[in-house]
Amino acid sequence: MGQHRIRRGRLLLVALAGTAVLLAGACQSAGESSASGDTTATDDGSTITMWTRSPTATFSQTLIDAYNKSHKNTVKLTVIPADTYQQKVGAASGAKKLPDVLATDVVFAPNFASKGVYQDISARVNTLPFKDTLAPAHVKVATYQGKTYGVPHDIDLSAVFYNKVLFGKAGLDPEKPPATLDEIYAAAKKIDALGGGTDGYFFGGSCPGCMLFTTWPMIWASDATVLNEEGTESTIDNEAAAKVYELYKKMYREGLVPKSVKNEAGPTWTQAFSEGKIGIQPMGATALQLFKETPKLQIGVAPIPGLTGGRNSFVGGDVLSIGANSTKAAQAWDFISWTLSEDAQVEVVAKNKNITVRSDLADNTYAKQDPRLATFNALAGEGQTPISVNFGKTFNDPNGPWTSTVTEAVFGSASSASVLAKHNTSITESLATGG
Amino acid sequence: MVSVLPIRPARPGGSTTHPGRTPVSGLGRRRQRLGWAYSAPMAAIVAVFFLLPLALMLWMSVNHWPLLGASYPNGVENYGALTDPFFLRALWFTIKYTVVTTIVLSLAAFGMALLAQSARPGTGLFRTAYFLPTAVGLGSASLLFYGLFNTESSPLNTVLDRVGLGPVDWLGTNGSALSSTVGMITWRFAGFYMLILLTGLHSIDPSLYEAARTDGASRWQTMRHVTLPLLRPTLALMMVLSVTGSLLAFDQFYILTGGRHDTATLAIDIYREAFLSQDLGRAAAVSVALLVVLILINGAQLRLLRRKED
Amino acid sequence: MRARQAGHYGTSAALAVLFLLPMVWTLYSSVHGSRAAAGDGAGWGLANYQRLAGYGDGLGSYVLNTTVVALVTVAVTVVSTTLGGYAVARLTFRGKNLLFLATLAILMVPYTTILIPLYIVLGWLGLQNSLIGLGLVLAMFQLPFGLFMMRNSFEALPVELEEAALIDGCTPGGALRRVLLRGVAPGMVTVGLFSFLASWNEFVAPLIFLTDGSKFTLPVALFNLQSGNLGAVDFGALQAGVVTAAVPCVAVFLLLQRYYVSGFSAGALKG
Repeated sequence: MGQHRIRRGRLLLVALAGTAVLLAGACQSAGESSASGDTTATDDGSTITMWTRSPTATFSQTLIDAYNKSHKNTVKLTVIPADTYQQKVGAASGAKKLPDVLATDVVFAPNFASKGVYQDISARVNTLPFKDTLAPAHVKVATYQGKTYGVPHDIDLSAVFYNKVLFGKAGLDPEKPPATLDEIYAAAKKIDALGGGTDGYFFGGSCPGCMLFTTWPMIWASDATVLNEEGTESTIDNEAAAKVYELYKKMYREGLVPKSVKNEAGPTWTQAFSEGKIGIQPMGATALQLFKETPKLQIGVAPIPGLTGGRNSFVGGDVLSIGANSTKAAQAWDFISWTLSEDAQVEVVAKNKNITVRSDLADNTYAKQDPRLATFNALAGEGQTPISVNFGKTFNDPNGPWTSTVTEAVFGSASSASVLAKHNTSITESLATGG
Repeated sequence: MVSVLPIRPARPGGSTTHPGRTPVSGLGRRRQRLGWAYSAPMAAIVAVFFLLPLALMLWMSVNHWPLLGASYPNGVENYGALTDPFFLRALWFTIKYTVVTTIVLSLAAFGMALLAQSARPGTGLFRTAYFLPTAVGLGSASLLFYGLFNTESSPLNTVLDRVGLGPVDWLGTNGSALSSTVGMITWRFAGFYMLILLTGLHSIDPSLYEAARTDGASRWQTMRHVTLPLLRPTLALMMVLSVTGSLLAFDQFYILTGGRHDTATLAIDIYREAFLSQDLGRAAAVSVALLVVLILINGAQLRLLRRKED
Repeated sequence: MRARQAGHYGTSAALAVLFLLPMVWTLYSSVHGSRAAAGDGAGWGLANYQRLAGYGDGLGSYVLNTTVVALVTVAVTVVSTTLGGYAVARLTFRGKNLLFLATLAILMVPYTTILIPLYIVLGWLGLQNSLIGLGLVLAMFQLPFGLFMMRNSFEALPVELEEAALIDGCTPGGALRRVLLRGVAPGMVTVGLFSFLASWNEFVAPLIFLTDGSKFTLPVALFNLQSGNLGAVDFGALQAGVVTAAVPCVAVFLLLQRYYVSGFSAGALKG
């Protein structure tokens, strides 16, 4: 039994010494993204690892299944739960265990690109004959210091969804959706008057991501901005924005939206609409595939309008990149470039009712079959994706400056204009520091 | 190390050796080696899977250690996070929450344990019903209750509406969110603590109850003089788990309120530092501070609840 | 007497109903409602469970992975804390208090922060992306409760029991095996049960430590299944998932009931 002596003190010392020695490995340097002049695409039967977020999982898997069937390479997909992507990438990045291919939410791509998570694929992208037709918002988001780090993967943009059944019941023309914010208000009012558990409008009042996804296009369509080009300064303190949030405040006060919107943090923000209880609600285009049309719910879509007209959209979704420490860049590029090919974009992406990432393919057979898809495809080229390396902590944090701004602007007693003025500095501060 | 822990069985006539003094007898030396041998597996796991990462975490707390990118030492700069107003608000709320939850949970668990330990038919069913919530992960439970609390069409709000009590704003203010969360946590954990209490109650020698009864003690007196003192180690276990769990509460608030309306807890503050501000160094600093505080609190609890030498 | 009995039953039953309601509602919603039913969204259906069964690598794979991890966790926890609990309760050795406190300290470190250092350490040990490694980590998290529980259990046994066995010629190990274990069985069962439950429902650790989708455990797969855009939740999938994950837990609990039942009637407060 003597050999089992464990001296506490000695053990602790060994542990500390071991830690010190091995920390040399843990103190990593910023993942050097290899500026690659290599532009080859190789299909040699390798296994390529890929990560995607859970909301994008079905989209990615459909593409991967088609690729694996027609190529020697095999892509293995791991689906990472939605808001834990940061944690996962952070843990893997330090240990140099990133996958070969990553699909990243567009709002986090600038952050990752600036921190060396991806490989520089500028040379590769330049070999694509259709590179100028790639969704401009996505490409911009994946560009850092003049170098390209990603290409568009999937597009989920915001648009106005409305229930044609309720439109009909309220005496509105189901084929003529509202084209200005005032028209949205008027339509919502008529639908709300139907009563019986129906409400005219809905929004996620405590969901910062939902709010910016759906209201920023209204500001853009009114010829105003929310951020500066570099994403280091907030410009939301403007008249158009104030009017947008005043309208929301009005709708809440007049009961055109259910009371629960005040606390809606995201989990149930599209539920009421899917049950046919809401007249109009801006949301993500992917909802079109998710919702079941029933006698109570017939879906119409329209671009998000501005105060007096115009149209815009928040172009979200994911970009596809090669992991910084991947040794299979050529194979990964074979997959990535294939996803952008006409074959993939039309026969896989568009066929499954998704938006194509190439504007030259926007008018494809499947889009022709469903005019709603055509609307989305058009918006992909017209919409914007704001860039900031500090997007997450500024705009997605339930305790961050943006959440307080928008909640106060919509539910508070002071005028929206004064609220925006008050908070603008704190948003700028968060955008400009840290990261 | 001053012994704050009960280190010998509190029964008269027990054969023990005085702590700290080297045992002279062969049996004593053998028991030393036996002690190390038997505790070896556990000690190995603690050392490799806890102390090692803990040392790393300590190291991280004195480094500028971003989530992505290189790290470098920066002294005690990270500990400035302890003066952050958000941290201080979270500290206050977490303490409030811990006090309320500990009281409510203990009372509920104790009541249920008393109800559930009778030999009457049907008790097994009741016990299973009380325990059932433990089968649901805390994250899933929080989401389920979010659905119940927040949607106007949830059965909870629909029923209340019909009865005339109107749809309630369960999560909209600091007070209501606190109560609602404590309610959910009681649902989720009362059965868990009930079972711990039952295990502890089981270990009490039934002859002691007999003796008390023949002495003419009432139920309350039996409880005070027989049950509770012998239940001290179990209560200590419960208190440590409950207080520590509440001080480190994360999932329930992250999901139900996201920390809004000043319902952010210390763990939410740490999460923000780590993954939103992307500063692992600062998160580690707050964690180290929290660890120290918890060691002190639990040390005190264990001392207060240590077995009384008969 | 009758009135007190009735009161007793009444309270127990009312409480039981209260505790069961959320679970009953979950079960009901998982088979009734817009996402459960085919067609126009009213009425009953198993669509939620079908989606769950066919998701990703298939329900079978996730259940298998979770079971492997849970078994490792339970085995390691029960064995190490029973031995360790005995040592701490009955034996004297240098560093005993330190070991007890160090083990307890595991509870006191915020989960979020210890995960990344753990991830790094697992990498050094070559246990990344390994179900065994995950099981060991989850066992580690159960050590505080396990040790505390087993120590309490051993301390509650009369010393005479062990002394009698030793006098009869048993080695300490033999005494432990033959005599004491029976006495601390309820404690061991509780530790086993709780470590099983904790491991079975654990979400964050498998997510961080496993990189292979095919190795993912049930909670991770469920989270993936139910998550939509901008935090939207597919409640039908969530509810089907909760029900599915709860079934083995309830089964294990019911199986282990008998270790508790026998003790209760004996030690109960008569009333």
